[in-house]
Amino acid sequence: MRFFILPLIVLLSACSSMPSDQMSDARDPYENTNRSVFEFNMAVDTAVVEPAAKGYRALPEFMQTGLSNHAEWTSYPSTAVNSALQGKFENAALATVNFLVNGLTLGFVDLTEDEDDPIREDFGQTLAAWSVPEGSYIMMPLLGPGTARSHTGFLLDAITNPLGYSGQSGAETIQYTSTPVNVVTFRGNNFDQVNDVKYGSADPYAKTRSLYYQYREGQLNDGDRSQSNDADDAFDSFLSDEN
Amino acid sequence: MVKYGFSEMSSRMMGMVLGLLISLSVTAQASANDRLEEGTILVNNLVERIQTVLDENPSQDDIRAETNAIIDDYFDYDLVSRFAAGQAWRSTSDAEKNDYKKAFRRVLLALAETQFDYFRRIEYTPKDAISKGPKLIIVNGMVQDKTGEYPDAMISWRISTKAGQPARIIDLEVENISMLITQQQENTAIIRQNGGSFQALIDALNKQADDIAAGKQPTSD
Repeated sequence: MRFFILPLIVLLSACSSMPSDQMSDARDPYENTNRSVFEFNMAVDTAVVEPAAKGYRALPEFMQTGLSNHAEWTSYPSTAVNSALQGKFENAALATVNFLVNGLTLGFVDLTEDEDDPIREDFGQTLAAWSVPEGSYIMMPLLGPGTARSHTGFLLDAITNPLGYSGQSGAETIQYTSTPVNVVTFRGNNFDQVNDVKYGSADPYAKTRSLYYQYREGQLNDGDRSQSNDADDAFDSFLSDEN
Repeated sequence: MVKYGFSEMSSRMMGMVLGLLISLSVTAQASANDRLEEGTILVNNLVERIQTVLDENPSQDDIRAETNAIIDDYFDYDLVSRFAAGQAWRSTSDAEKNDYKKAFRRVLLALAETQFDYFRRIEYTPKDAISKGPKLIIVNGMVQDKTGEYPDAMISWRISTKAGQPARIIDLEVENISMLITQQQENTAIIRQNGGSFQALIDALNKQADDIAAGKQPTSD
């Protein structure tokens, strides 16, 4: 996976960009290419991911919980590394403890029963914390929406994941299966919301892009609502212009 | 005639200015608190009203009528629709503006009709309210899914508090995702993708309302 992402980012970044007056969003200069990739992703979703998510939802609740727990557990090494890189040592420690304790069940059972789960941190967030510019919006085949920075972060997460350096084939298997497991559990846990966007929007591509940016902003702010977000600024400016 | 030395006069002036500033600050604080309270009451009343409607086991027609009334009583629909139209609003004819507002309301009503029952499974708990400038406040709360299917979610109501006008809801934000920003960005994309045609947006919204009403959105399983 890690070897195929980088050339794709370069390839998509090299696609010709649109004139600014034709862009529906200034952050998305490769909109035409991105829309084609989005159509491909939706076709894959219809053929593979949505049926798999339906299957996931048909499982008994304890099995759904187990798979969701496992998917979350596989992200803890990355969370621990990236939390430490961002100076969030408490979260790094929490992720490490959760990974080690729940590792006794490969993460299928949450043995910690802790109210405070680690907050997921990825390399894209670390790059943002280091003030790396986010770059253009890029819709990646199979991986979905992101920016040049977040996709690069995904690649770095794959490279730096401690599971890949354990030298044990079981750990490597877990690493390679974590992405599909994550995709199916995410799709299953957000089944109606994703279908609302996919089938109920006037422009599913534009809606996905908007949702991505807002959701990502929330992640980058660690959900701290005391800070003004882009939406606050947009409303403030709109109300000020009213006079 | 009473004469004051420079330093005495200066300190008297300073005292007066400070007094004025303190009284202005107290007034502004009281005004900000009033706005926060008005917004919080507005949201609580809305939640209560929805609950009352749900308790009466409404028909689809009842839900449509109630949603229409709720939009007018609790939301600044004029502002909401203008904001959602984006920059294209300024260069659009009055006829298109009217058609757009009707189409947008059709979408909202269709969504409410199909999703009103969802309110049965959630419980809203008010949290706090914060001021974001003189015309905007945010009322925060938590939404709990009583079925346990979804985790608790933070919900923020953006409320317009323009001087001399009643507070009105202009946006709903769930876990940092603003409904109206999403709608605006989608609408802008539709207009740009159709060579700047505002009519294309009206057509797309009418089609969306028809599709939702026809039940073309698949739901769980």
